[in-house]
Amino acid sequence: MRIHMFLAASLLSAAAHAETIEMKVNGLVCGFCAQGIEKTLRRDPATADVIVSLEHRLVAVSLKEGQDIPDDVLRKQLTASGYDVKEIARTSTPIAEIRARIAGKSQ
Amino acid sequence: MKYLHRQACRAFLFMAVVTPFVADGKPIAYAHGTTVMAEYGAGTMAEAQVFYAPRYNMSFGAGHLTLDSDIDERSRDITYARFNYLVRRWNLESAQGNIFAWGGLGNGQTDTGAEGSTWNAGAQGDYETRRLYASIKTDLFDSSEFSHRIDTLQLGVAPYKHEYATLATWFVVQGRQYTGGIHSGTEWALLLRLFKRGAWFEAGPTLDGKLQAMFMVNF
Repeated sequence: MRIHMFLAASLLSAAAHAETIEMKVNGLVCGFCAQGIEKTLRRDPATADVIVSLEHRLVAVSLKEGQDIPDDVLRKQLTASGYDVKEIARTSTPIAEIRARIAGKSQ
Repeated sequence: MKYLHRQACRAFLFMAVVTPFVADGKPIAYAHGTTVMAEYGAGTMAEAQVFYAPRYNMSFGAGHLTLDSDIDERSRDITYARFNYLVRRWNLESAQGNIFAWGGLGNGQTDTGAEGSTWNAGAQGDYETRRLYASIKTDLFDSSEFSHRIDTLQLGVAPYKHEYATLATWFVVQGRQYTGGIHSGTEWALLLRLFKRGAWFEAGPTLDGKLQAMFMVNF
């Protein structure tokens, strides 16, 4: 029971401190077409920054301090942009680090 | 020359069969997006369109099409309102395929001064990866005075995989046929396509040495 409570608290804590959401997205092949993703996500008041990578099929959103975007809202936003989300992961990785990681792998 | 023509026809048929859904610019950008497009088609056609998409799978707007026959003196001026619908989209791991359909109503004028209401219907299928691109489109304009269908095939290859924020470069072969005495045979063009962010431009010569060009912005 204690272990379960500890795990639940840890998960809640990780979610509470998530500052970046990374999404694996299918169909990301055209920069012209994918700009709708960035425009849609930037309209969300919780969004601080957005990265789209065709190479990594990745859309990353950094959140404003203390704010969040629920998974179902993210899925709706990506659907409204015309794409399908395959995975959603919340991390505490700064978006600058993700940007550097993508730039490094793209080279 | 006949041999080259035959080879080109074979390549055309091969790609049309092998490539399941072959596109040019899409008539729907994204939810709450606006698309403005202008095309100059080698002296035989010129078209301008504006569409707004309330949802990712539909858009509505208006356009104007001018057709100028290179066979005789006939010309058409058609102004229309149109509704576009995304019938099906396949978001694959490294590719995307789409089927669009549209319909609209408008007004058409001929070179003889005849004028009347027109209706318009069309469809487009496209398939693209980051290196290959193909689309096939048919667009019919019909009235009591005339009937014209424009069929367009585009096959493209990218010399490199572009990234989201970098310039995309494509080499595109376009084949276009007109019905109703606008152009006889297939009008072939070799196009250089460039796009970055929300701006798209493509241009190149037809086999007759005429200019084929298209500009499009999404915002």
